[in-house]
Amino acid sequence: MKLRTNLLVGGGLVGLAIVVAILAPWIQITDPVLDANLMNAEIPPGADFPFGTDQQGRDIYSRIVHGARISLTVGLVSQIANTIIGVTLGLTAGYWGGLWDDLVSGVTNLMLAIPSLIFALAIMAILGPGLVSLLIALGLTNWSYSCRIARAQVLSLKSQGYVQAARILGYGDLRIMFTQLLPNMLGPLIVIATLGMGGSILAEAALSFLGLGIRPPYPSWGSMLSEARDQITTAPWLSVFPGLAIFLTVLGLNLLGDGLRDILDPQSQERRA
Amino acid sequence: MRTIGLAIAALALFVGMAAEAQQTQTPRKGGTIRMTGPYGASMGSLDPHATSRAQDGIVSLAIHRPLYSWDSTNNKVVLELATSVTPSEDGLVYTFKLRDDIFFHNGRKMTADDVIYSFTRIMDSTKGYPSARYVRVIKGAVEVEKGQAKEISGLKKIDDFTLEMTLTDRVNPGYYFFQNNTAIVPKEEVEKGNFAANPVGLGPFVFKEHIPGSRVVLERNPKFYKAGKPYADRMILQIMSEAPARDVAFRNKEIDTSILGPAQYVAYRADPELSKGILEVAEMFTRALTFNTEHKPFQDKRVRQAINHAIDTDLIIKRLVKDKAYRATSWLPSSSPAYDKALKPYAYDPDKAKALLKAAGYPDGFEFELTTSQNESWGLPIVEAILPMLAKVGIKAKPKLVEVTVLTDVALKGEFQAYIGSNLTGPDSLATLRCFYSKTPRSACRVTLFSSPEFDKVFEAAAAEVNPAKQLELIAKANAILYDEAPVWFFNYNKAVLAYQPWIHGLQANATEITHQYVEDVWVDERSPVK
Amino acid sequence: MLTVLVRRLANVIPTLFAIVAVVFLLFSVLPGSFISAMNEDGRGMIDPAVMERMRKEMGLDDPLIERFGKYVGHLAIGDLGNSFRTKEPVTKLIGDRLWPSLKLVLAAMLFAIVIGVPLGFIAALKPGSVTDATSMVVAISGLSLPKFWLGLMLMYLFALQLKLLPSFGYGDGGLTHLTLPAIALGVSPMALLARTTRAAVLDVLNADFVRTARSKGMSEPRVVTWHVMRNALVLVITTIGLQFGSLMGQAVVVEKLFAWPGVGSLLVDSVFQRDVPAVQGCILLIVLFFLAINTLIDLAYVAIDPRIRYA
Repeated sequence: MKLRTNLLVGGGLVGLAIVVAILAPWIQITDPVLDANLMNAEIPPGADFPFGTDQQGRDIYSRIVHGARISLTVGLVSQIANTIIGVTLGLTAGYWGGLWDDLVSGVTNLMLAIPSLIFALAIMAILGPGLVSLLIALGLTNWSYSCRIARAQVLSLKSQGYVQAARILGYGDLRIMFTQLLPNMLGPLIVIATLGMGGSILAEAALSFLGLGIRPPYPSWGSMLSEARDQITTAPWLSVFPGLAIFLTVLGLNLLGDGLRDILDPQSQERRA
Repeated sequence: MRTIGLAIAALALFVGMAAEAQQTQTPRKGGTIRMTGPYGASMGSLDPHATSRAQDGIVSLAIHRPLYSWDSTNNKVVLELATSVTPSEDGLVYTFKLRDDIFFHNGRKMTADDVIYSFTRIMDSTKGYPSARYVRVIKGAVEVEKGQAKEISGLKKIDDFTLEMTLTDRVNPGYYFFQNNTAIVPKEEVEKGNFAANPVGLGPFVFKEHIPGSRVVLERNPKFYKAGKPYADRMILQIMSEAPARDVAFRNKEIDTSILGPAQYVAYRADPELSKGILEVAEMFTRALTFNTEHKPFQDKRVRQAINHAIDTDLIIKRLVKDKAYRATSWLPSSSPAYDKALKPYAYDPDKAKALLKAAGYPDGFEFELTTSQNESWGLPIVEAILPMLAKVGIKAKPKLVEVTVLTDVALKGEFQAYIGSNLTGPDSLATLRCFYSKTPRSACRVTLFSSPEFDKVFEAAAAEVNPAKQLELIAKANAILYDEAPVWFFNYNKAVLAYQPWIHGLQANATEITHQYVEDVWVDERSPVK
Repeated sequence: MLTVLVRRLANVIPTLFAIVAVVFLLFSVLPGSFISAMNEDGRGMIDPAVMERMRKEMGLDDPLIERFGKYVGHLAIGDLGNSFRTKEPVTKLIGDRLWPSLKLVLAAMLFAIVIGVPLGFIAALKPGSVTDATSMVVAISGLSLPKFWLGLMLMYLFALQLKLLPSFGYGDGGLTHLTLPAIALGVSPMALLARTTRAAVLDVLNADFVRTARSKGMSEPRVVTWHVMRNALVLVITTIGLQFGSLMGQAVVVEKLFAWPGVGSLLVDSVFQRDVPAVQGCILLIVLFFLAINTLIDLAYVAIDPRIRYA
């Protein structure tokens, strides 16, 4: 397929976000938290402040740059958690089957049925707003897709020759699961996780909007956007830049996910060859 | 023929001019008032006794009425359902002459029995009606609340329109019974059950429809006791909690009133059209950072004063709150009769703050946890602004974010070192100061755990004082002691801002809550887009 | 078909019970309570005696197990308890919101299908072309915007600038008030549908039986309409089902922004006011809706593709 553009553009956007996040302390202009000067509040973008300043007189560019760290951390950590939970449950359920499988399938259905935003809302309300709560809330509530995929893959791979062979060689269950089965399903899982990262970043914005976002002082894009929404008419730059940052990053993640799917998902590759 | 023609032309001109004058002077009858409910995405309860929410109060004030009302022009309580009230010599017994022309929406006349019924209902020992705290000032109400009596002994019906009320303390009952949730309700309608879904009152508007989460629709009460009022045929309360959405709707002329936050206040003031329709009032809320005076550093008055000196309060109010607030000097707001204009607020003086900290034994400052909500006017943004200011004098504040809902719990349970919040500080100044009286339990409102023998002495004297002028003097003195003791960082008194469309008239600058309008006085002219 | 239904129901009941338990537990440990929530904005601190009576009336001081037992007992006879806030039965509270909620979800889904499916279809017919790339970027852009942001932009554009539609509210519940929130809600399922449709059509276009049909000289439009549509439908319907089912839960943000009187806005408000019975009722309804839609989808499979059978 020629649609490698999505891989390029998506990879480029995500790569940019990652580079910015890593370099944040070096490419910032001022400190995103402590350099608040109310005398400089709400200056439009210009020479001194390329993206303008916010209500507190802080440089929005520096906050966006640091926000990349927070927002990408939210996306990455929550998706790693989701993937680990989903894969562990899906692998074992598919491999062992029986009662455990029924139980896991039941819980997966349950997680699918309760919308993850509402689940996250409840967890945030219990733990109180903050980064750690957010990571827990988003990391525990979105694993049902990876679980389903892992389970389905195991079911189709289980009967294949090399797995049977490993079993005859006396490999333990866990060893088979993690050395023989897991590598063969990484493709679709990475795709799911990439798309899920975008979802987490958006979920963070939604939770901020609902009043249960991240604790200060370090900004996330979602909380910046949500705080700025009252000032769309008076100081549009307050919301334009975090909005763009979210849009471009999530767009990048989605394009990257699609692109990766074309390469990594062996099934779709096979079918299209 | 010509003369007649001229005469007609002159007459037409005259009529035209009269109509012009009428437009600016005489309220127009008819039309629809469209107000907004900005506090939350739904109504609480339409049963006036069951709620203390400001949002419910907007509707309650249109359908129901309590004994007293708030006079926004003179900032005081006035009689509403009675024509006169006579206090006894000792100031404990009040005799009300009720109006004899008041009808409930079901057509029945209101009598003294209805007042007694309503207050007894509020004290119901099986229900937690928030307004019990007001009715408790009547003698014998507590016994009903505890289930020891069926009737409030302090309420006596002399005849259908004469009521005698005995109080437990020498207070002005007006401060208690102007509250919306002490409204007078008809027994027979309440006992039908489902009163919250079909509220029947005696106010200027009759309940018509409630689409939960969207709007409440009310219609004109033709038998309202104030002749010729209300003016409008209909009143709609649109529930809209999202400020940016409200902004669009207001600019799009879909609503007649809107509540403005700091950001929009700036925008509306700068707009040549919108700036013509801004109503401002100094509300009775004091925004403050409350210290837990039992927490080590805050035990010392000098530390508390140092924080008041370390924060550039004026700058925050000007730049961050956009002047949508008045600088607080002490606890009582500027609308209080005991407010002392001569009192100068703490000056911004980091050097003095450092000196005070040094004297208190904290030359290198200290660290404390600052609990805050996300509220834009008295929460997180303010905390973000004071963090660097405190850091300059060596104090490190660690913000702890909680929901507004949880903040009250945190405050009442004392689970904080310091928290920033909004406090109702009126209209009864004496009751407001009670929150610093050392005999008040923490769970009632003494969240600072503040205790000062000097303050107690003045407060007790004020409470016992019969002469109103002398009492005011003592209240002001107590307030001045609080200024010096600084149990809180005095931040600001809220300036409530209501934006209104050019066609709506008669809105009142209600200092107790700006959205609470006595709607019988509000009218809309022909320019209103709805008929 | 009946067996499918029976099997489904047999699965649904334990799931429901588990959800009831999870939701009950989650919201029982929330910090803050309905009573402290009444003290918004620092007005009217409620005094200790009243608080105590309220707690008693709401049964907040009873042991958790006892409360849960009572709740399940009442639930079994269809009683969701009374709202703390309005004191009315939660069933009535939710009943009032059900129709507006359904209307919004249906309209959003309609938007998603009408735009999303053709978009994906067009993209798939010429994979790799400019049309393909453009339609996919459009679709994925819809998936990459925070919903409240999109909603605000729609408000500004269509209500304030173009004066075409009212910006908020329920009005008479008609199309004019419905359009903007439905688009804001429908954009992300639209994007997913476009993507799925494209993938499904691509898969089928390359499948053997289509090649056979082509080689037999069947005209391209006929191949497309006859074979491709029919076979891609199964995958598309699965996506529609999953999206449709979860849409009521996703509507939370949109309903709050547009002051739309649906279940989602009731849910958020109830969470912040700690009106626990109402919260539980709302979540239960959202879950039931999801399960019901999924059952319908399962039935639809059997109708569309007779090869699918449930063991």
